[in-house]
Amino acid sequence: MRLLAFIERDLRKFARNPIVVGVSILMPIIYLVILGNSFQGELKNLPLAVVDKDAGPYARRAMELLRAIESGTRTVRLTVSPDEEAAMRGLRDGAYKAVLVIPPRWSAEIERSTGPELGLFLDNAETISAQTLEAAIARALPEVRTGFVRIRENRAVPALRRVEIYRKIDYDQTLIPGVVIMAIFLGAMMTGAFNLVMDRFLGVDESYFLTPLTKKDMVVGLVASGLIITTTLALVVLFLGALISGIPLWRMLDARSAMLVLAVIMLSTLGIQGLMFLIMGRIGHPRIVGVLGGFLNVIFFFPSGAIYPVESFPAWLKAFAAVNPESYSVHALRSLFFKGAGIAAVRGDIFFLAGFAALTILAGIFAFKRTL
Amino acid sequence: MTLAIETTGLVKKYGGITALGGVSLSIPSGDCFGLLGPNGAGKTTLIRILTTLLPPSGGSAAIGGFDVVRESGSVRNVIGVVPQAMTSDLDLTGYETLDIYARFYGMPRKERAERIDELLGLVGLKDRARDLIATYSGGMRRRLEIARGLVHKPLILILDEPTIGLDPQSRHVVWELLEKFRSLDSLTILLTTHYMEEAESLCDHVAIIDYGKIVALDTVEGLKKQIPEKDVLEVTVAGIAAERAVEFAGALPTVTRCLARGDVLVASTGNGAEIIPVMVDGLKNLGAKVTRVVLKEQTLEDVFIHYTGRPIREEEAKKVSFLLGAGIPTRFGR
Ligand SMILES: Nc1ncnc2c1ncn2[C@@H]1O[C@H](COP(=O)(O)OP(=O)(O)OP(=O)(O)O)[C@@H](O)[C@H]1O
Ligand SMILES: [Mg+2]
Repeated sequence: MRLLAFIERDLRKFARNPIVVGVSILMPIIYLVILGNSFQGELKNLPLAVVDKDAGPYARRAMELLRAIESGTRTVRLTVSPDEEAAMRGLRDGAYKAVLVIPPRWSAEIERSTGPELGLFLDNAETISAQTLEAAIARALPEVRTGFVRIRENRAVPALRRVEIYRKIDYDQTLIPGVVIMAIFLGAMMTGAFNLVMDRFLGVDESYFLTPLTKKDMVVGLVASGLIITTTLALVVLFLGALISGIPLWRMLDARSAMLVLAVIMLSTLGIQGLMFLIMGRIGHPRIVGVLGGFLNVIFFFPSGAIYPVESFPAWLKAFAAVNPESYSVHALRSLFFKGAGIAAVRGDIFFLAGFAALTILAGIFAFKRTL
Repeated sequence: MTLAIETTGLVKKYGGITALGGVSLSIPSGDCFGLLGPNGAGKTTLIRILTTLLPPSGGSAAIGGFDVVRESGSVRNVIGVVPQAMTSDLDLTGYETLDIYARFYGMPRKERAERIDELLGLVGLKDRARDLIATYSGGMRRRLEIARGLVHKPLILILDEPTIGLDPQSRHVVWELLEKFRSLDSLTILLTTHYMEEAESLCDHVAIIDYGKIVALDTVEGLKKQIPEKDVLEVTVAGIAAERAVEFAGALPTVTRCLARGDVLVASTGNGAEIIPVMVDGLKNLGAKVTRVVLKEQTLEDVFIHYTGRPIREEEAKKVSFLLGAGIPTRFGR
């Protein structure tokens, strides 16, 4: 009864702040839209200048292949420049991301198989664009005459053909697990332990400490109200995110995997709530929470594999990802949403999340000080 | 007679500051006990130890027979507390607050509803019970917090400066309320205050606390009797240097103390009625003009000044982290 009354207090207080409810749904969705549109899965419209000093048949063939990329995957936007110097100036000024120079007598050298070379000058200040361009050109040009073209300063991305083993997924759809995790993080951030900080800041905690509420009542009560609020928010965000990015989740998830999704969301929430208790358990000023919140969000979100794959992190970051609860949530949600995985694929994640939640909440109860 | 509250040699240190330097008190059941002290005397510290919010650095205390450290849970069940600062959740309504608190004590629904209804009537908040506390005035919040402290029918009600920041009307309302609850619920009341009038009108017993020590403890009458001069004479004079007037009046028979407050001479005396003509004539002879004479009976304030040597003291600054302000883990001081 004590516990329920304490939970009710939190829920009532939260409901009296409809703006917070709105913002906490809106923010992850805006993240989805912004992230989905800024980090496109593949880069597009990278300006490339081509200086053709050869004008032979292979050069024309090369131009056709580049044009095919321009109109096909749109990785590049071609500008044909007669003047090499002007093109290089454009590269330095940022008008082009790369300049491809086809040297004189290139076609002839191909004919004689004497190891023809193309000059590709890249704007290395922007690594991602540079790599993408290089890869796209390397992929396209071997077709001029396979095995004969070498690209100078080729940091070689071999011309792989992509093999997709799962259903085709758009980039902003792959963000959905991350967005749900972000909703969970934001929810956990402003419920649960944060209420404790606010109570302490406003001096309201004194009046609760005067009642028979125990330490356990308070921590469990705050975590429980936070769980109710955060899970609801995360489900709304998941639903809206699925609508926006066009995944028919309701058709992809059967009842079993829907239950698993719910379990993953709830366990992730509990874990982050517990973590917040450990971190905020003794903080008395909301401004510190504000500072910490932004920091922690980045610290947990980016190394979770929500955007970049954990596998390509350096070793130390991989080690962090291995203890980051958000990595497990992202992995579990991604498996459930896109791979139609069953319990077997996410069992490890669920174990980790449950253990993490149990540990942090127990430690939170332990660390919580029920005196002024 | 059973003791509602008993403390022995309570000590509380905050770092280097000794807030309580060995407080021993015995408060019988049914008593209304006033703790009178200037700012920073240690009243809140004492209350917080008694109400289990702070661990003492030394000594012991029991409330309703339960030790405040070892049996804090039982203590919390028998006390109702109104803290010094306003401590209600602004985004709850008055009714919700009382209902939620009553449930902390496990009161069944029906009993709860009746008690809350009764209390809201007594504190005059029935009409506003469904409004958010954020819309209440300071006096309304105070009354609600008194109701909150009483919602579970505690045996002992502890109030820390219950009328601080209230206007005189609201203060009287609170006094009446406390009188009323006292007779209805046969409560033991412990309150702190720095208003002499409050202690005088409400309390059976008063302890004067200063620098963390009890300097006097008795009934209001007893305390007044402890100082010999039972009258205070205030004479407003003009046309004479204050030092000369003080020197003259202080030397009069039965005057034990005399000081000047602006152009008012304040003299403590054992027999005011007799000394008035002597004093007025004497001052006239010295060339002064006497414009006003007031004879007052000794109040608790005079007792207070008698024991502490001053009416009020500036509170010393609390220790707050230089680097982080007030938002710091409490371990580093708050
Ligand atoms: N958390 C704390 N850390 C350090 N010193 C403290 C702390 N709380 C109180 N003090 C000091 O202890 C002394 C007693 O403070 P307390 O709040 O008990 O006084 P009080 O009698 O209630 O005063 P007031 O009438 O102003 O409420 C003061 O000197 C105060 O500065
Ligand atoms: Mg105080």
